[in-house]
This record gives sequence, C-alpha cells and structure tokens, in this order.
Amino acid sequence: MSDIFRRDPRAEWIARNRLHPQHVPQEPLVLRGPTGLLRKNPHKIGFIGPNGIKRIDRSGASNANQLGRKAAKQVEVELPLHQVDSPDFNILVAVDAVGGRLSSHDRDTLGLAHTLANKGDEKGAVIAVFFDDITEENLETAGIDSLIHFDDKGYKSYNPEQRCADLCELVTTLRPKHILLPDSINGGADLGRRLAAKMNVRPACNVWKVTGDQLICRGGAGKTDITRPLSKLLLVMEECSEPVSDTRHQNMPLSVDVNAQCQLKIQDLGNISVDPNEINLAEAGFILSGGNGITDWPKFHLAAKTLGATEGASRVAVDDGFMPRERQVGATGTWVTAKVYIAVGISGAIQHMQGIGQCHKVVAINSDDSCDMVKRADLSAIGDSSEILDELLNLMQGDTGLSEQGNTEVKYA
Amino acid sequence: MLKDISKTTSKNIKMSVLISVGEHPLSARPRRAEQDARALELGLKLAPESLKILYAGSTGDSAATEVLKEYMGMGIDQLEVLDVPPKTDVTLPLLEKLQQDCPDVVLTGIRAENGESSGMLPYLLSEQLNMAMVPAITDILCIDKTTGFAEVLQALPRGQRRKVKVNLPFIASVDMAAAAPRQSAYGSAMRGHLKIDPVTRTMHDAEQEQWQISPAQARPKRLKIVKAKTAADRFKAATAKVQGGSGKVIYDNKESAEAILKLLKDEKVL
Amino acid sequence: MVADFLPNLISILILVSVVLAIVGAVRRVKLWRQGQPSTIHWAGLLAIPRRYLVDLHHVVSSDKYISNTHVATAGGFVLTIISVVLIYLLGISGSILNYALLTSSALMFVGAVFVLLRRRNPPANLSRGPWSRLPFSLLIFSSSFFVLTLPATGKLPADTGGWMLAIMLLVGIAWGVGEMFLGMTWGGPMKHAFAGALHLGLHRRQERFGGGRSTGLKSLNLQKDKLGVEKADDFKWNQLLSFDACVECGRCEKACPAFAAGQPLNPKKLIQDMVVGMAGGSDANFAGSPYPGVDVGTQPASTYKGGEIIPIIDVLVPAKTVWSCTTCRACVQECPMMIEHVDAIVDMRRFETLEKGQTPGKGAEVLENLKTTDNPNGYAPESRMNWAADQNLAVFGEHVQQADVLLWIGDAAFDMRNQRTLRAMVSLLRAANIDFAVLGDKECDSGDSARRLGDEATFQRLAKTNITTMQQYQFKHIVTADPHAFHCLKNEYQDFGGHYDVYHHTGFFADLVKTEKIKLDNKKELSLTYHDPCYLGRYNGEYDAPRYLLEAMGIQIKEMERSKTKARCCGGGGGAPVTDIPGTQRIPDMRMDDAKSTSAEIIAVGCPQCSLMLEGVVEPRPDVKDIAELMLDALSVQDSPLEISLVETHP
Repeated sequence: MSDIFRRDPRAEWIARNRLHPQHVPQEPLVLRGPTGLLRKNPHKIGFIGPNGIKRIDRSGASNANQLGRKAAKQVEVELPLHQVDSPDFNILVAVDAVGGRLSSHDRDTLGLAHTLANKGDEKGAVIAVFFDDITEENLETAGIDSLIHFDDKGYKSYNPEQRCADLCELVTTLRPKHILLPDSINGGADLGRRLAAKMNVRPACNVWKVTGDQLICRGGAGKTDITRPLSKLLLVMEECSEPVSDTRHQNMPLSVDVNAQCQLKIQDLGNISVDPNEINLAEAGFILSGGNGITDWPKFHLAAKTLGATEGASRVAVDDGFMPRERQVGATGTWVTAKVYIAVGISGAIQHMQGIGQCHKVVAINSDDSCDMVKRADLSAIGDSSEILDELLNLMQGDTGLSEQGNTEVKYA
Repeated sequence: MLKDISKTTSKNIKMSVLISVGEHPLSARPRRAEQDARALELGLKLAPESLKILYAGSTGDSAATEVLKEYMGMGIDQLEVLDVPPKTDVTLPLLEKLQQDCPDVVLTGIRAENGESSGMLPYLLSEQLNMAMVPAITDILCIDKTTGFAEVLQALPRGQRRKVKVNLPFIASVDMAAAAPRQSAYGSAMRGHLKIDPVTRTMHDAEQEQWQISPAQARPKRLKIVKAKTAADRFKAATAKVQGGSGKVIYDNKESAEAILKLLKDEKVL
Repeated sequence: MVADFLPNLISILILVSVVLAIVGAVRRVKLWRQGQPSTIHWAGLLAIPRRYLVDLHHVVSSDKYISNTHVATAGGFVLTIISVVLIYLLGISGSILNYALLTSSALMFVGAVFVLLRRRNPPANLSRGPWSRLPFSLLIFSSSFFVLTLPATGKLPADTGGWMLAIMLLVGIAWGVGEMFLGMTWGGPMKHAFAGALHLGLHRRQERFGGGRSTGLKSLNLQKDKLGVEKADDFKWNQLLSFDACVECGRCEKACPAFAAGQPLNPKKLIQDMVVGMAGGSDANFAGSPYPGVDVGTQPASTYKGGEIIPIIDVLVPAKTVWSCTTCRACVQECPMMIEHVDAIVDMRRFETLEKGQTPGKGAEVLENLKTTDNPNGYAPESRMNWAADQNLAVFGEHVQQADVLLWIGDAAFDMRNQRTLRAMVSLLRAANIDFAVLGDKECDSGDSARRLGDEATFQRLAKTNITTMQQYQFKHIVTADPHAFHCLKNEYQDFGGHYDVYHHTGFFADLVKTEKIKLDNKKELSLTYHDPCYLGRYNGEYDAPRYLLEAMGIQIKEMERSKTKARCCGGGGGAPVTDIPGTQRIPDMRMDDAKSTSAEIIAVGCPQCSLMLEGVVEPRPDVKDIAELMLDALSVQDSPLEISLVETHP
C-alpha cells in the first residue's frame, strides 16, 4: 500500500457537510437521548493530539481519510538528476564503505563534498573512490557524480599503504580541489593521515562544520573548536553536513589508469575471533547483564553465549560472587555504551541506572513490573527470568535459519 | 586466544615511546595523556631495559614538569626532554632525535589531548623516517629482529581485533583499548631524572597563528529530516510524538521472548 | 641442711636469671632501636602505674572475669617478685616479708587457677602454644614460692619434705623463674609485661591516656628517601615496642569486621607478623587464628621467614591483608595494650601506594581522579554545586565573605542518594535561621580516602588547598554531614595549619534542639535502630548527640548488640569499597543482619558512606535514613519550616 493518497474533494465535501444527502456519519455523533431530545456528545468529537490535548479537525481531513480518499498506487518519486557535464573542478572523496555499503558517515562526507562542489558559480564534480566490492543499493542518491572503483583482490584485506599510494596517484592525475575522507575508525582516519603525510599537506582533522571559506574542527581531543581557513585535505566528522537527499547523481564510472607501486610493510593477518566476554564492557555493543533476580546462572551464561552478548552484572551479583568484579556495570563499575542492554533480574539501583545512561536500547527482564529498570526500559518482559530466557533460547534455536539470513547484512558500527 | 601472547620477542629491541602532556577532559588539568601512558605501559611490558622515553615540549612550564614526573612514577629513572619552545612544531626535533637513535619500534598515542590534536605526528614521522605505521594497536604479540617482522593487534570498533604483520622498524599509535597504564607512584616520580636536550633547529608554526581557538561548542543532535511537501505535513512532523517515551511492558513469556528477539534483530546485534 | 642450701641456691638462681633477663632486655631494646627515631616521652614512664591501673584496666574491665583474674595474677606476681628480690637477692629477712611473700604467691596462685580455668576450652580468639603453657608456669611459680616460704613463716617445720621436696621446689622455681624472668625479655608470653609496661609509658600517642583521644593519622614527610613502611625497621621505634606489647588476647580479632567477613585480615596475626619481621623467626610458630583464607605455614619457609629484616608485604604478610582493613579502629578500641593497628596498616599502605604504585582494585583510578578532579569519581569540578541548583545557597566568595557556619558538603554532592541528606540539612539550617554558606565549587575532597589508601601526597595537597580556600573567609564553625570529612577537618588538618571548630551535623542539631531553635515533633512512632559511624563514634567519641536527637523525636532506639564503642563498621571506611578485597561475606550484610535482629524498620545513620553501604544490601531490609532526613520529617509544623525555606533567599 502506498502512503500517498489521492484526494477526492467531493467525498471530503460530503463528509464535511452533514446535510448532504449522501452524508453518512462515521459514528453517531448525535443521538436521541432518553427524554427524546437530540443530544450531541461533545466527548466524541475530535481526537487526542500528540501532546495530550484534544484537537478538533474541522478540515474534514480525518473523515476524508476514512471515507473519500482512495489509495493511489505508490509512485516512486523521481528525484531530479544532478548532472555535471563538464566540471570546473573535482572533489575527491574516499569513502569507508565497510562491506561495500555507505555508512551514514560516508553519506555525510559525500553531502559535504556536494555542498563544496556547488558552492560558487563554478560547478564541481564529486568523485568517490571505492575500494573492495560495492554492495550499496542506494548509490545514486548518495551524491556521487563519478565513481572510481578499485576491486582487486588485494583490497579485500587491510592494505592502507596500497590505498594511500592509489589515492596519491589519483590526486596527481585528477588534481582535485578538495579531498575529503570520513575521520572514522573504519579506515578513513588512517588513510587520510597517511595521504596527508605522503602529499605533505596539512590536513584539517575532525572537521565538523564548513562555512564559506572557513571550517571548524575539534582540537584538544574534542575540548576546543578551531576555526581556520578551508584546507585542501579534510578529514570530517559524522554529521558535518546533511547527506544528499534531493537529487540523483550519475555515478559515472571513471576509468583512471592507476598503477601505483609501493612497498607494502603491513600485512593483514585477518580479524581475530574475539570471545564476547573478552571484550571490555565499555566497548561492548550488546550486553546481557545479570542481577540479584537470577536464580539459574548457568542458563544466564548459556543465553549470553547463544546470543553472542557480552556478560555484565549488577553490583549485588558481583558481591555475591556470581560474576567477577570487572563485569560490574554502573557508576561504581563500568559505564557502558552498548547499543542493546538487556538487564535480567536487575531492579535498577540508582548507580546502575547512571552507568547505563548512554545505552541506546534497554530491555528489562524482571519479575517486578514496578522496578526502576522497567521504568527506564524500552521493552520490559515481566515474569520469571529463567523461563523467559528459556523461551528466548528456544526461539533462537528454532530461528537459526532466519537469523542467518539476517546476518548476511553487514553491520557497521 | 587473545591472551596467547607468545614470548618470542627478541632481546635488545630498541624501543622509543613518545609522550605528551595530557589534559583532563572535564577539569582541563594537565595529566598523563591516556593513550601515551598506555603506549608507555606497553613499552615497559615489552622492553623495560632498553626503553627510551621522549618528550618534546617546553620545560619552562611547571605543570608540564609535574606531569613528566607522573610518567616517571610508572617506574622510570630517566626521561629525555627535547626542550622545544611553545608554539613550535615538535616534529622536526623528534625526527632528528629518532634519526640518531634508530629505534626498532616507536610507540605513541593516537592524538594529543591538547593543541591541534590532529594525530598527524606518527604519520609524519613514519613518512620521513620511512618506517611502517600501524594505527590504533592494543598489543604487540612478537617482535622478531632476525626476520625483521613484528605481529601486532589492532583495535577495531566494538572490541574487535585485527592481527597485522609489520616490517621492522615501525611506528605504532596505541589505542585506548590497550592495557591500562600502571599507577604512578609518588616516590619514584619525585626521584626520577629529566635529561634535557637543547634543540637546535625548530620550525615556527605560523599557520596556527591565524586560527581562532575557542572552547568546544556542543553540537546539536541531528533531527530526523522531514522532507515535507505541505504545511500540514510539516506541522505533523513538528508535533509528532517522540519515539520511545515509555517502554512496552509484556507479561507473557512467549510474547516477550519474541519481542526481545525482534528488537535484537532490528538493532542488528545478533 | 636443706633449709640453708635451698635459699642460697635460689639466690644464685634468681641472680643468674635476673642478669640473663637484663641481657635479654638489652637485646630487646636493641631490636626496638632498629626503628626510626621518634619523640621519647620520658615523663610517660612515671605514669606507667597510673596508666596500667586506670587506662588499661578501663579496657580490660569490659570483660570482668579476665580483669579480676589479671588483677590477682599480675598483682600477686609483682608483689611476689618484690618480696623474692628483697629476700633472696638483698638478703633482707623478716616475718612480715615472709608473710607478704606467702600471701602474694597465694594471690597469684588463685589468679593462675582462674587463668587455667579459662584456658580449659579457650575461645578461638585466644592463642595456644606458649600461651597455653603460661597458666601452668604461673601455678608452678606461685606454688613453689608458696611452699618455699611456708617453713620460713613457721607454719611448717623447716625440714619438711626433705631433699625430695627441695629438688621439686628447685625445679619448680627454675621453671617458674625461667618463664617469668627470661620469658619476659627473651620472647616468651611474659614479654607482654616488660614491653607492655614500657609501651604504656612511651606510647606514640600520649594523648590517649587520662581520658584523652588521639585518632588522627600522623603526617608523613614527603621529602624522605623512603615513604611509608617496607620493612619492620621503617616503623618508628615506639611502634616496634608496641608490637612487642601484644598479649594475643584476640579482642581485636573478635572486633575486626574484615576478619568476621572472611577477608584475609586478622589484626592479632598482623601484629605478631610485625614482631616476626622485627625479631626474626617464622610465622609458623603463631598459635592463633590465621588470616582467613591464608594458611599459616603453607607458604614456603623461605618467603615466610623473619631472620634478617625482610620486606613485609608479600613476603611476610599478603598485600590483600593490609588492604582489607576498613580503618574502623575497632581493634584499637578493644586492644588492652593500646596498640595502634591502624597506624601500622596505613604506614604499610603508604609504601605500597607511594613507592610501589600498587593500590589494588579501583584504588589507582580513584587516586588519579582525586589528582585531576578533586573528587574520587572523576566528575567535573564545576558540577559540584549542581545538586543545589534549586537551593539558593549562599556561596563564600560569590555572595558572602563571612557567615556563622561553613556548611561542608563533601563528596555527597555527587551522589544522588546523599543529596537527599544534604537537602534535608539545608532545610533544617534554614528552619533554625542559621547564617550559613558553602564553599561551592572551590571545595575539594577532604582527602580522607586518599590518606587511608596511603596516598599521603594527594591528601596533603587536598588539605593544603582546602585550608588555603577557607583562610579567605570568616566563619565560626564548620558543620558537615560526613564524619570522614569531620574527622579530617577536625583532627588531621591541624598538622597543616588548619584549626577549626568542626561539628558533625548531629552535634550541631543537638545544640539547636537543646536551645529550642529547632522544635521536633515527638508524636511519631518509629521502630528504629541507630548505626554508629566509626569516624563519628570511635574516632571522635560522639555517641550521645545522635541518640539525643532521636529521643527528642520521641523514638525509643532499639540498640543493636554491637553499638557505641563496639559498633560494627559498615565496610565503607578506609577505602575498603575501593580496594574491594573479597571475603566470604560482605561487611554491610553482616551489619544489616545486626540491624534486622533488632526487628527495627529503620536504620538511622549519620554518614553518607554508611548510607551507601547499607542501602547496597539487597532488600527486604530496614530503610536507611540519615538523621537529618528523619529530623526534617519530624520538624514541628508550627514553625512551618517549608515556607521559611522556600521564601528565604540569600543575597
């Protein structure tokens, strides 16, 4: 179904007009009361708005929604195509594209590149450099005018020196006005600084705002803002600019003959499989945390293993010796930043709640629905913790096929 | 697996650690820079005898001297100081010093806790000294001088690790995920010795003088962008209920397990 | 024949043993002199009898049985010795003296019988080994002299028993004199009499005698080549002397919360290990309870050996032993010999922290935070006053330059639980129309935990900073809700030039209630018990003010079995929650069990650390409320305090 509706002014008019012969009241607003008088129930009129205040919609839109509107077939909105036929200058963007997908950081970088390309009277082209495969589906809305793709086998692994040499050669060939990279742990920060050192230019790092000919970057490990002139090489932070959203771009493959040779001193030996429990709690992305309400600790450990979660604990669980001290979450333990935090049998002492303040989603599994953890949680499961964990484990077992399918999506942090 | 660190590290490895004066993010007081202290910890673990510790910066500042003492509190007798005047680039003096010393391994933090904090220093040094550069390491697994290789562990987001083989000599920046630095003991801090080398050639950083430096502004959180076509849509977007005001509470075990699983999948943590 | 021969022989025997005892005493003194110099309080030597009879007996008499026994035994022994020396060494004779010897040895015999009775089924806190031998030696000594003297008094014919008895007496006296004279200075159980007497006279804290109090830690000269105590000879000489005074009675062991919680600390064993460190030997000879979880003698002899002076930590004593201590002073309070266990522990901690940099647990992190942010948890220094954003507090230097009262906030400012107490305090002060102000963001941590974690450098920096800050303003008193800060400000800042009139809030409020500036409603019925904070009670002797306040609210306190001087620590002192040494149970859980056994519904506390530790106990448990909170609830309504506190605003 589409969420775009085609208006039917006539139906709307009929809906508004109670005296129209075709008007059918959607619910009997007017009733004949016990005394025979017509009574209008004022409570039935209108709806409760988002901030809890009653709103009466006299435009008829709400009625029309149900009555007159006919759903139109969804039409993909065709965004205008942004074309740069003969660019006056180029802007080179080396994206992280972890797993071939553009992260939001990449898109922000491209957005900034697009802004820089269309700032003045001259029109520039944004050239994106991809290493490794491209699996991104919405490439054309990213703001890439031309695209350079290195997809040799060597690029599948960590080879920053080769990438740097390639970029360096691209720079000499294309002579871009600006070079932009995301200042990210996923490769951009490293590559950008390598390039800067190789080209012997001073980069602007941690850039978060570009206004006119000035840019603002973070200095002092994030404690200061440095306003300085726009530089050639920019390593930009996330949300430095809005991503491109109004236009489509050509993604024209640009074949540049790059044959950079360099001495490779670093060799990737591959990622090490890290036991979730070896991960420092402060870094962990998914934490299953146990507290005083847990009766079956082996099951808790099994659940953590099955879910692939890092184990955490409340102070009481640590004090009682069920978990080691370095697993304690909270103001007196470790402050955590997990995307998902599942608190099993933790009622939520104030120090604990302080420690999970930065977690994105909190799930509470608890027998008491009035505890503070349930109040904080985005999702609460009330009941016996070991039974709920049982159900979860069952589901996981029956679900392996499905979850594998889900796993093919490459996640980027 | 991570703990399986084979002790194949050769003897007589020449290792240098570059340290700087850090700044506490909340109180802005000088302190041991967190990453540099980790680099020093790693150096002390691998080559406690042959370790050289270098600080390039002004010695006129008493606060800086206090911090250098704190580094020495980690059990260091001597620390070499390149007396670089303030507002001067430290790359050149360090470069000359390292060219003299010819270390096999240079360790440092990822970026300074004050100043420009661009994190360029190790890259500039590696480029000039023609050494390999490995960013954000957490540990050095082995250094084999005979074959001329070392194996290091690199930090990836969310606690993941990558193993990398690198030619000697190399520079590495040490990540926050590396082992925490040992406590600084007041006694050895007070008794440590600063060996101050005067610096002959320096480069004044003229570019920085044009910059305006101010306390960091809080960056506004990005709002969900609504590309509204009509006034009513814009109104709706502006008044729409903020997501996640209060959580969902489920009392049925089966239902709650399903809901949890769905949330885990939505958040892509499974 | 026998009658002549025996006294001569005994004279020689006693002469020899007195000489040997003096040689032993010189050797023992030499051992003590290995220690570092410290003031010698010669005048104290004159006060020994009085200190023994008054101060020491005040402690001992908490156990009537042993105090009476000791009076009989020790009194008898001293009189016997005097008589024996007069008769057999100086040759003075006379029937009065003989009768005196007879009665004194009889008195000693009676005492020794009671010692023996107590030793039949000795409780776990008493040491065995040589100490189990002692009552027999006492019996033999006293009975031998009794029998020996009988003929002289004419009660028995001179030659009674003949050679047989003479030899028996000789053997008995040899044994007895050996144990009593030689053991006194060569390291037997009777050592306590010799070292103990000297220790009472030359005690490092002379102020403790005659009803005084001295509880502040001694400051450390940070310029020295070695900071803190690594080896036994790094202690002051009078500390070494004090270790020798130990009678291994195990009262400290009974009182120690860490020992009870199964943490590897036994104060008695610690003191004995210090003696081993000083005098050599091995801890395998120790005949009392071990450190919980650490077996005596299982360590290889080479590491657990005295002999020459060896490092204490991790050689003689496990590091976790000294880090288990909560510095609650229960052991010091209980010790009849007035030994200062806490001083010794902090001295060793100082070496661990300042020289080795090995503060365990989160200690290093806390100390680092104190260095960089002046608070133990690393919060932004300028957020110290955030809790009082709605309180309109007058701040020194910003709004006022002087006030009657400086309200010391402490680190409770950063803790959401203890902010409730602070708010209650502010409301109460306003209800009583007190002119008070706070230091605001300029206040730093008092340095209590840093000092007790051994980081004297950080403590001194914090203390000096706070003193400099306070110098700028005029105030009459300091009031604080934190007994730790109270203790530091009152007793430990003096060494750095900070002399203040400091009140704990209970003391201050008690005065306000007495002068009727605060009227409390006493109609509420509360089932309540009161937990004495160590740093208020044992450290500063304040037991009455909190109880007075509670009674003024009409509350009948259900006292716990361990209360006042015997109150058990909550486990929160001395950085113990930071170093976090595991035991078999937790100290706050034990304390909560004490409270539960009174069936009270509320535990009143007067310390932010206590409220945190006790609230950390898993529910169901009694509610934990600070006295200030209880007072605010009971504030008499006629005064309409809330209106006052709302309307009244400071400039």
